[in-house]
Amino acid sequence: MNDFQNSIPSAACLVVKLLVSPHGICPGILFSMIMSFSSISTVSYIDELGHHDDNARLAPTMENTYQMGPYKRFPANAATDILKDVLTSYLQEEKYEVEWSQKMTKTLCEVIRARVKELMIPRYKIVILVHIGQLTGQCMQISSRCLWDTSNDTFASHFFKNSSLFGVASVYAVYFE
Amino acid sequence: MEEFHNGSEVSPDTNSPFSPVTCIENVVGGGDYSQSQVNKWTANIVERCLTQLVKQGKPYKYIVTCAVMQKTGAGLHTANSCYWDTAMDGSCTVRWENRTMYCVVSVFAVATA
Repeated sequence: MNDFQNSIPSAACLVVKLLVSPHGICPGILFSMIMSFSSISTVSYIDELGHHDDNARLAPTMENTYQMGPYKRFPANAATDILKDVLTSYLQEEKYEVEWSQKMTKTLCEVIRARVKELMIPRYKIVILVHIGQLTGQCMQISSRCLWDTSNDTFASHFFKNSSLFGVASVYAVYFE
Repeated sequence: MEEFHNGSEVSPDTNSPFSPVTCIENVVGGGDYSQSQVNKWTANIVERCLTQLVKQGKPYKYIVTCAVMQKTGAGLHTANSCYWDTAMDGSCTVRWENRTMYCVVSVFAVATA
């Protein structure tokens, strides 16, 4: 089981343990739903058990690299250009539709990830977040905060809007020491 | 969880597990969507989540994102894609709603060393 997910509430963890055996029944999206008087919440995790078992057994011991920091920093400007380019080319002429938007958010995530990987910045882990929404005059606020090493880690984001929809894409790059 | 006992500087607080839902409810509570407050809400939710995560005392870097949207019948889709070590890194997304708004909180944890 993924280390991080073990720290999630124990009730939810029990659900996870019951449903999934060490040999993996159906890795995928597991969720628990809690309903209180006036609000509903859903928590979901992505679990990929197969990979974890293999890695645990075969993890090689790495030699010390004596590398103090990244040789090449992640270029936030280049990332912003990529986001601008991808959002504009994929969303410019489109109209908001439920099915299409669902697929498009995932597609955009994959495309942006591939483009950022092409930058070939070694030892950086990448997280990409894409939101696509319908424009109906509603208000929305998106904020994020990160606990990381400000000298090595960075992020880039871009907001796109046309007459019927808006799209927000963010890239976070975290250095792996 | 054996790693907790290997002499980390900050002793981890294993008695209070990380709960994004409590963070959201403590900040927004039973209130309605309010344009003037939403900035403060998102900042508070994100900060509380991060503080709770730090108390876990694990060797991770965290990215916490919060999106609050007014309920007007409009659609919203969110997706994320990550390039990391699937054995050590993970994410968790919480979707919360009440009568007047939706709140989506995503937490990404990236292992260091």
